[in-house]
Amino acid sequence: MSSIIEVKNLSFAYNQESILNDLSFDVTSGQFLTIAGPNGAGKTTLLNLICGILNPAGGFVKIDGCNVKSYSIKKLAQKVAVVRQEFVPPFDFTVEETVMMARAPYLGAFGFESKADEEIAALALEMTETIRFARRPLAHLSGGERQRVFIARALAQNTPILLLDEPTSFLDMKHQTGIYDLLKKLQLEKGKTIVAVTHDINLAAQYCDKVLLLGADNYHIGKPGDVFTTELLEKTFGVRIFAVNFGQEKFFIPSGKLAKPAGPNRTTSFIPDS
Amino acid sequence: MNKFQRQLLIMLCLAVAVVITFSRLQNQGRNVKHQSGQPNKIVSLSPNLTEILFELGLDEKIAAVSDDSDYPPQAAKKNKVGTFWQPNTEAIIACKPDLVVAESFEQQKAVTESLKKLGYKVLSLKIEKIEELFAAIEKIGSATGRSRRADELIKNIKAQLDGLRSKSRSSGKVRMLWVIQAEPLRAAGRKTHINELIELAGGENAISDTIQQYPPISTEELVGSGVEVIIQSAMGTGIENEQKAAEAFWSKWQNLPAVKNHRIYVIEPDTILRLGPRLPQGAETLARCIAAKQENQ
Amino acid sequence: MSNTLTIRKLTKRVVICLAILAAVMCLCCLTGTQKISLEKVFAGPGKTAGENIDYEILIGVRLPRVVLAALVGAALACSGVVLQAVLRNPLADPYILGISSGAGLGVIIAIISGISGTFLGGSPIAISAFAGAIITVWLVWYIGHFTGKSQVTNLLLAGVVVNAFFGAVIMFLTSIAKSEQVYSTIFWLMGNITEKNPPVLWVSAICIFAGIVSLFSICYRLNAMTFGEQEAQGLGIDINKTKLFAFGWTAFITAVAVSLSGLIGFVGLIIPHAVRLVLGPDHRQLLPISAIFGSIFLVAADTLARTIVAPAQLPVGVITAIAGGPFFLALLAGYSRKVGWLK
Repeated sequence: MSSIIEVKNLSFAYNQESILNDLSFDVTSGQFLTIAGPNGAGKTTLLNLICGILNPAGGFVKIDGCNVKSYSIKKLAQKVAVVRQEFVPPFDFTVEETVMMARAPYLGAFGFESKADEEIAALALEMTETIRFARRPLAHLSGGERQRVFIARALAQNTPILLLDEPTSFLDMKHQTGIYDLLKKLQLEKGKTIVAVTHDINLAAQYCDKVLLLGADNYHIGKPGDVFTTELLEKTFGVRIFAVNFGQEKFFIPSGKLAKPAGPNRTTSFIPDS
Repeated sequence: MNKFQRQLLIMLCLAVAVVITFSRLQNQGRNVKHQSGQPNKIVSLSPNLTEILFELGLDEKIAAVSDDSDYPPQAAKKNKVGTFWQPNTEAIIACKPDLVVAESFEQQKAVTESLKKLGYKVLSLKIEKIEELFAAIEKIGSATGRSRRADELIKNIKAQLDGLRSKSRSSGKVRMLWVIQAEPLRAAGRKTHINELIELAGGENAISDTIQQYPPISTEELVGSGVEVIIQSAMGTGIENEQKAAEAFWSKWQNLPAVKNHRIYVIEPDTILRLGPRLPQGAETLARCIAAKQENQ
Repeated sequence: MSNTLTIRKLTKRVVICLAILAAVMCLCCLTGTQKISLEKVFAGPGKTAGENIDYEILIGVRLPRVVLAALVGAALACSGVVLQAVLRNPLADPYILGISSGAGLGVIIAIISGISGTFLGGSPIAISAFAGAIITVWLVWYIGHFTGKSQVTNLLLAGVVVNAFFGAVIMFLTSIAKSEQVYSTIFWLMGNITEKNPPVLWVSAICIFAGIVSLFSICYRLNAMTFGEQEAQGLGIDINKTKLFAFGWTAFITAVAVSLSGLIGFVGLIIPHAVRLVLGPDHRQLLPISAIFGSIFLVAADTLARTIVAPAQLPVGVITAIAGGPFFLALLAGYSRKVGWLK
């Protein structure tokens, strides 16, 4: 399987402050990559470099074999869809209208959708289970529902690659898992390549194939089991980590100075192995 | 720019070019009815023009006047066609005029342009100075077939003004201020026709040359001007009240000669502000205000 | 299930609205300070002036005014729609990028310097207003671009600064002008619909129509742009090209409207909102329908302005503000549930 995203020697700086330095990694087609790391490590910056919003200071990003810069904005939008934090726009578009906008890269001169475009949008709404409020304005939905609408829009864009920037940050547990289930479904059933930036390493570890841990001046990439170790996490995030084994999985809980003491050992099993 | 936009731009330029050529070729304006005599239905768009028309004896031929044409009293009874600032084209056309007299500033020019396009005969006059008044009277005279009366009127006005001028030459120049507005204080400057009248009547404008026609004046300037006579134009709320209010207002500046000697007058401004046949009366009113001093002394 | 906008649905709605516009225009041509009879009008212009005054009044005085009001109303409403979308600001109006003060400055310079000579039958003041407007927009765009990649906030700030600066120059010039020049300038700034000759109307109509059609072609992009520039770019929209295109054409049609009729307020701000409240924010529909209702509104307002205090006239801006305000409040009260950003 070929690499659909290729990052090589990527460097970027904001006003002489270096954010990314000589970063290189690949994402193969149909993979689920999580990008994790502390605030300010450059996760969103990396995402913006991959989707062409920012231009690298050094190195390059290749999508499907061609440099990101060589794509026209329209053609790039047919390859990469980005989902950011949900919000309510200043004008009250309905869910349907919002999702339909994703067909823009494929429309003709005056931008009217065909029957095929309508069907693709309908399918996207069904997959994200947002079809029941298709005619409601975005402002009338909850945060979780709205985030699913934004994902539905990215789906309707019909791209092989989906980039997501903290899609579950302000959502409750049910919606968080709901969205990750959806993303996994998209990867397994539709073969989409998913790259998701997240703060929730535990949730991510349950779903992704590969994780990129961005530190302040280093990075590690590999399977979650390999990259997520207590030492590395403590070093990267700069906080005491309390690791818990649960069956075959390991979970990491940050332990602050004034938090309740968890026990004498660093590793404790709460529930007996089944 | 994609193909569609380029095509649109080309079509736009072509369309504009077509319209320009077409309009140039088209026969603009129609013939005005050839008059073998004088016009019989005149519309005046300005009060001073109305006064001139009446002076030339064209009373019955005036079909309509502007709202503020109030002199002579018969003028007030005529049909109205909108204000001095906004003449109503429809009302003017409804009168079926064969001559429209108007002034040449922007507002009236726009209306007269449309009337001209429809084929009406229009006389557009610039009246900002006393000399221009005489030129206007002459033009109106020849357009209405009253050239002789126009010449007489001009001679008359000139004579009266000259008479005043020679009378006032004997006495010294009195420093005068014509106040347009009290708050903020604005007066008539040296470039106005009011200034011409002031000098004719034996006065001298208390303020020196300014770039503005009706400059706002600072207190400093006022105090330093040594003004001997202050004249304010009545606003129409009753001369008695305005006189009292003016005296109260000016009493702040006790060291001004005008205030010390109670030489503050509020007068009806039409004869002075309107450049029309009553100008000599206006000049005389100014002269009387000056002369009053001489008597007091 | 789909409630999407199709070409057929849109065409149907546009045709209905155009029919309403035509009816309103006819009605307004028949309304005025003088009574005229329709039969006499059909007799034709007559060989000399004054022969058929019914014809002259209807065709020579009222029709040009009604047509001009329709054109200006359409241009302003259209401009308001596009600017509100691109600037993502529901309070944007056609004059927000400095056009008002630029045009005003052009006008007062023309009035004071007393230049004469016409172009295409348009007065020197109109040309000056147009030039002033275009130059100012270019200046605002340049300043906005210069201070940071023409981001929306920079543009708005540049517009405010330029408006303030030129406004001050206008104030200065007004203070030294002759009284009738002052009145003329103020009168012009208040906004008025007057009779213009056919060539001027034709050229303006072509320009405004071309502008509306061009802006219509980017409406689907405007939909995406209201979600933010990064979002829009993610959806394949070239935001810089779109912004330049949008600003260029709105500046053009607004400058044409302003050069003909002065600064008529309220239309460009309120009509987009009113139409949006009823029909929703999809710009492919919002733009043409707003343009048509902008025409209807201004034609009606102007007819009121010239009949209500006959034989004098009110500036049409007075009517648009007085009538527009309460009308919009009523609409808002009725449709408040639909308005997202008010919450």
